[in-house]
Amino acid sequence: MMKNKIEKFLLDVQKPSRYTGGEVGEIIKDKSKIDVRFAFCFPDIYDVGMSHLGMKILYSLMNERENYWCERVFAPWVDMEKIMRQEHILLYALESGDAIKDFDFIGFTLQYEMSYTNILNMLDLAGVPVLQKDRGEQLAPLVVAGGPCACNPEPLADFFDLFILGEGEEVNLELLDLYHTMKHAGATRSEFLKQACQIEGIYVPSFYEVNYHENGTVKEILPHENAPKIIKKRVIKNLDKCYYPEQVVVPFIEPVHDRISVEVLRGCIRGCRFCQAGFLYRPFREKSAEKICQQGITLCKNSGYDELSLSSLSTSDHSQIEKIFDELLEYTEQEHINLSLPSLRIDNFSKSVLDKVTRIRKSGLTFAPEAGTQRLRDVINKNITEEEVMKTCQIAFAGGYTAVKLYFMMGLPTETDEDIIGIAALAQKIVDLFYHMPEHAKGKLQVSVSTATFVPKPFTPFEFEPQATKDEILRKQKILKKAITSKKIKTSMHISDVSQMEAVLARGDRRLCAVIYDAWKNGCHMDSWEEFFNASKWYEAFRKNNLSPEFYANRTRNYDEIMPWSHLDYFISRKFLIRENQKAHQEQITKSCRESCTGCGTNQSLGRACF
Amino acid sequence: MKDYRIIFEKKDNMKYISHLDLNRCMIRSVRRSGLPAWYTEGFHPHLYLMFPLALSLGTESICEVMDLRLTEEVSEQEILEKLNSALPKGLHAICVREPDNQAQDITSAEYILELSSPEIADLKSCWLNFFHQPEILTQKRTKKGMREIDIKPVLKIEKISTQDNKLKLILKLPAGNDGNINTSVVIDAFKKYAGKPILINYLCRTKIFCKNSQEFL
Repeated sequence: MMKNKIEKFLLDVQKPSRYTGGEVGEIIKDKSKIDVRFAFCFPDIYDVGMSHLGMKILYSLMNERENYWCERVFAPWVDMEKIMRQEHILLYALESGDAIKDFDFIGFTLQYEMSYTNILNMLDLAGVPVLQKDRGEQLAPLVVAGGPCACNPEPLADFFDLFILGEGEEVNLELLDLYHTMKHAGATRSEFLKQACQIEGIYVPSFYEVNYHENGTVKEILPHENAPKIIKKRVIKNLDKCYYPEQVVVPFIEPVHDRISVEVLRGCIRGCRFCQAGFLYRPFREKSAEKICQQGITLCKNSGYDELSLSSLSTSDHSQIEKIFDELLEYTEQEHINLSLPSLRIDNFSKSVLDKVTRIRKSGLTFAPEAGTQRLRDVINKNITEEEVMKTCQIAFAGGYTAVKLYFMMGLPTETDEDIIGIAALAQKIVDLFYHMPEHAKGKLQVSVSTATFVPKPFTPFEFEPQATKDEILRKQKILKKAITSKKIKTSMHISDVSQMEAVLARGDRRLCAVIYDAWKNGCHMDSWEEFFNASKWYEAFRKNNLSPEFYANRTRNYDEIMPWSHLDYFISRKFLIRENQKAHQEQITKSCRESCTGCGTNQSLGRACF
Repeated sequence: MKDYRIIFEKKDNMKYISHLDLNRCMIRSVRRSGLPAWYTEGFHPHLYLMFPLALSLGTESICEVMDLRLTEEVSEQEILEKLNSALPKGLHAICVREPDNQAQDITSAEYILELSSPEIADLKSCWLNFFHQPEILTQKRTKKGMREIDIKPVLKIEKISTQDNKLKLILKLPAGNDGNINTSVVIDAFKKYAGKPILINYLCRTKIFCKNSQEFL
């Protein structure tokens, strides 16, 4: 057991309880009665991974089966990694303390591109060959992955046995059941993979051959071993009938999000053209108000948390949101629980909703206009008008708010310098509004403006678009800084090196496996941590493999180009994406799914209407 | 409204939980327990818990103290049962009593230490030589940065024994608001004196005292 080996070093590292397990809600089972062991790996540190809702759901779901045991694994922070390497301590799962190389499954969740090198590093720390082809014919451990970035898993194709596309609640158990049967029958790894790829939603990358044109674009993707030509994502039909945990693991240290979450809906009706999640998670499905309240109350009681978050891509789009507020507030106020609402949209932020939020907590107000001018907001289909922003701010200021956070993107398609200056102008208008209100709160006003670099993503209407170059972004950042004159406005701007690498990996092909491998060998990991991201090491890995980041990040793709992910079906048709892309360039908006069907193709794949 | 003083153990993996994390963990445990906790009044009501003496990371304890305010009177038995059913493994409430002393009455605490060193033949005499120095200067972290202090006058050995060259000590050290000395300060000074690696096999706080060596009640 690795946990015993690590004990004597625990006082030499920061936050030792990252490595001990033993939290309330942790699930411990008798090993001798277990048929399948699953190591659920989050490719970042405990503090980040323990905030992730998907892991909580799938952890509890798999553990519902008596003879399956799912345990948690996180990347050690650099101090602990050093000790583990020095002392030859293998990466272990927190519950049992056993090395994960002896597990049946090692499953990663792919939440963001910059965690990819951590995956390689964790496999290496676990003593598992990093490359799939080096793992031989023995069945276990199978290295698998799911999550949003599995929609283009090609840059990771060489490292994984299989990917799980779409929502995992059903397919994970189907996969474990198949494994259980085949393990008893003494199957080999490839025998198992041949069967597994027949399950809807399972993609075995080694069964596909990718050929390229001379210009570097994909020429064809050929299935072998009787694998399906197109792999469809999995979708849960009814959220009310879908499994949801009644208890979660309650960490001792404070994770990034220290609260309990109830998912209120999946998918999004909005169709913002830059937003991958808005397309990947279609169709829009609501959980009933009764279920939401019941699950929220149960989770609060069992966990002891004093903050409950209603989570989704756009919580205020729930058709019964006011009813949910009323019911939950009755409970939470009595129990001294904060109700937090991370994704409220500016346009339907009504007075009565705001009153209720105000009853909860008077902290900051966060808006994401994403672009500084109405023209550009129309291009990206972020259907918020300046008037709505101002109206909401007015209500909020009257309600006593003194902090407003604004999120924007830079480098959006068709963006001009005027759009950048528009960001400063909007922030300034909010400042002016505050001081022109006769009864504004006494506190000091702070408007924070955060800008991130736009990263074009697969399965969005902008998947064809080039990312702005680093020089262009730096130039625009300078313009914005100059345009902001008020001391009430604080700016923070995301570094663009990381964004470029995100853009490369998001739309990359299989040839990037070698780049990721070399970058990791060169010492790249924890790339999502500013202090560890090393652009020059990444560039070196590109040069070594005769590839250029610009080819992936800054190139315009033709409408008829075969994308590296063209064989994966996320229910969004290419025709729709082209149509939306054209509309973007014509500065035309598309209405929400609730108002009229936009024809994205999801209903055809489902064989039913979304609403 | 009634105050209760809860004496609890903090053992095994729980020794890796910092004071801040313990506070959060206890709040959640009380909430899970279903005890009628009293909340502060005001804009952000919070559950009222008070820990008269913090315990440093890495130290176990069989005598930790937490004061809890409930809205109504509850039997000691019920408090113990409900709280213990909600606490994580390693935290365990031993007894409940009415608070007598106050946090500022605390003057010292007793610790059991077990040390070993593969490189020192006679650890006990090494310790005694260390202890019998005219002064024991060491670094202590204070709010104003590192400061050199002499711990000789305040360091008291209650008991000393050895077994298989494992040195077992019972130490009494100043605790509370008027100058707190952590065991780590003593161990660091000893390590520096010995010049060789010394391992801490066991470290546990066993008693908390007020003036005149009265136990904190």
